[in-house]
Amino acid sequence: MKNELGRILIVEDDPRDVELTLMALEDYKLANQVVVTRDGQEALDYLYCRGQFHTRSDGNPAVVMLDLKLPKVDGLEVLNQVRSDEHLKMIPVVVLTSSHEEKDMMRSYKLGVNAYVVKPVDFHEFVNAVKELGVFWAVINEPPPGSIGKR
Amino acid sequence: MAPWNLQSKMAGSRRLRYGFSVACVAIAMGLSLVFRHYRVRDIAPPFNLAIAVATWYGGVGPSVLALVLSAACFDYFFSPPIYSFSISSEDLPSFFLFTAWALLIASFAGARRRIEDDLSNARDRLQVEVEQRKQQEDEIRKLNQRLANRAAELESTNKELESFAYSVSHDLRAPLRHVVGYSELLQKHSSSFDDKGNRYIETILEAAKRMGVLIDDLLAFSRIGRTETKKTRVNLGDLLKEVVTEIQQETAGREIGWKISALPVCYGDCPMLRVVLVNLVSNAVKFTRMRTRAEIEIGFGDGDNDDLEVFVRDNGAGFDMQYANKLFGVFQRLHRTEEYEGTGIGLATVQRIIHRHGGKVRAQGAVDQGATFYFSLPKAHGPEARAASAI
Repeated sequence: MKNELGRILIVEDDPRDVELTLMALEDYKLANQVVVTRDGQEALDYLYCRGQFHTRSDGNPAVVMLDLKLPKVDGLEVLNQVRSDEHLKMIPVVVLTSSHEEKDMMRSYKLGVNAYVVKPVDFHEFVNAVKELGVFWAVINEPPPGSIGKR
Repeated sequence: MAPWNLQSKMAGSRRLRYGFSVACVAIAMGLSLVFRHYRVRDIAPPFNLAIAVATWYGGVGPSVLALVLSAACFDYFFSPPIYSFSISSEDLPSFFLFTAWALLIASFAGARRRIEDDLSNARDRLQVEVEQRKQQEDEIRKLNQRLANRAAELESTNKELESFAYSVSHDLRAPLRHVVGYSELLQKHSSSFDDKGNRYIETILEAAKRMGVLIDDLLAFSRIGRTETKKTRVNLGDLLKEVVTEIQQETAGREIGWKISALPVCYGDCPMLRVVLVNLVSNAVKFTRMRTRAEIEIGFGDGDNDDLEVFVRDNGAGFDMQYANKLFGVFQRLHRTEEYEGTGIGLATVQRIIHRHGGKVRAQGAVDQGATFYFSLPKAHGPEARAASAI
């Protein structure tokens, strides 16, 4: 990982979605504040500063954009882990998923997600949604203490 | 318990019963002789008692024997002239009285026997019935077991379907989003394409978006089958008003003559019935587009079995009745996509919702002469419904 000082942690297994998401964030010059992890295990490694991330500087991301369907550890498990850890539980988590299913939505909210966004099929809507999420959580919103500061 | 035992023991043996009868009369005879010795005038009671006891425990035959024996003894030993079977005329009434009394007892005993026999017959019948019942119960238990198995099977099928829909929801959308996304990115480089190239990209985009709509519609359709219906009283009139107001916002500039009857209260799942009305009314609006003045009528009548039948009639494109059975199929369309947009799932959704309510759907129409769509629902009963329909 080139940029280990991410204010936005993206957890997304699909490389094309990653590319499109980064492209969207690029418009607001937020792309360089992003860390991408490709499965739930990697995301947890990042949050706990272990494995390949053991050298990263401390601090929680200002927001985690979490896909639900992920290899190894899925999104809901990551969310559950984050919410049950004393040091991580305040991190804003946004679920960004293809799933319209009420079941997923209910479980996410029950686990205390901050927002649940269904990825729109329409590209413009998708780009707008990602942009707005990025701006809101990384710029407008005041992150909880212990988060990586703005640059 | 003891007399009952005696009775049941004697019921088996004829000789015992008759013997018992003779013994009873003999004892009565002895008692009467003792009575006479002490100059007691009325010596009939011991004999009556003997007949009664013989009748009670012995039955009809022994009772007659006891009667005849008692009469003979009474006549021979006690009614003058004594030691002869002839009867003096002055003793005749008392002898008859004795005989009548004895007959009465015997007939009571007979009645008791009959009742007893009836009772035992009834008991046997009851026994048979109980056994039949037991068999039926076993049968029912077996059927229940089969039903439970079937329910379990259905549940697992349902789960499979659910996971199928879930993966459609998750996995089918992602590639679609990429097709649309990258096509649009490609469009940004449109300077390197000629008109044909641009048109191709346009077509890819349209097709992909249409597929997105199809997937969404299909998922919504499958969700209707999977979610539980929460039935309450629904004021169809109010619901229709809401729906029509909503749709009218999209029909500005068109001349539409609405004719709406006050629909009654029915019993159903409100959000689902709303979907039904939205689909039918927006269909009516859509298929009357080519009319300079569209006429849309919504009303109701009585259906079969105490149901309520609502109809939505329009003067639009209509359809050929020979395709009427295809109308309610999933993704069935009777018009070309260029003529009328849509995925062809609206009426299938309507049908599924109405079927889930235990109602029926049907349609009537003719090409270019408009169409009428009917759906039936169970009526709401009770004072609330009457009050609401009176308004």
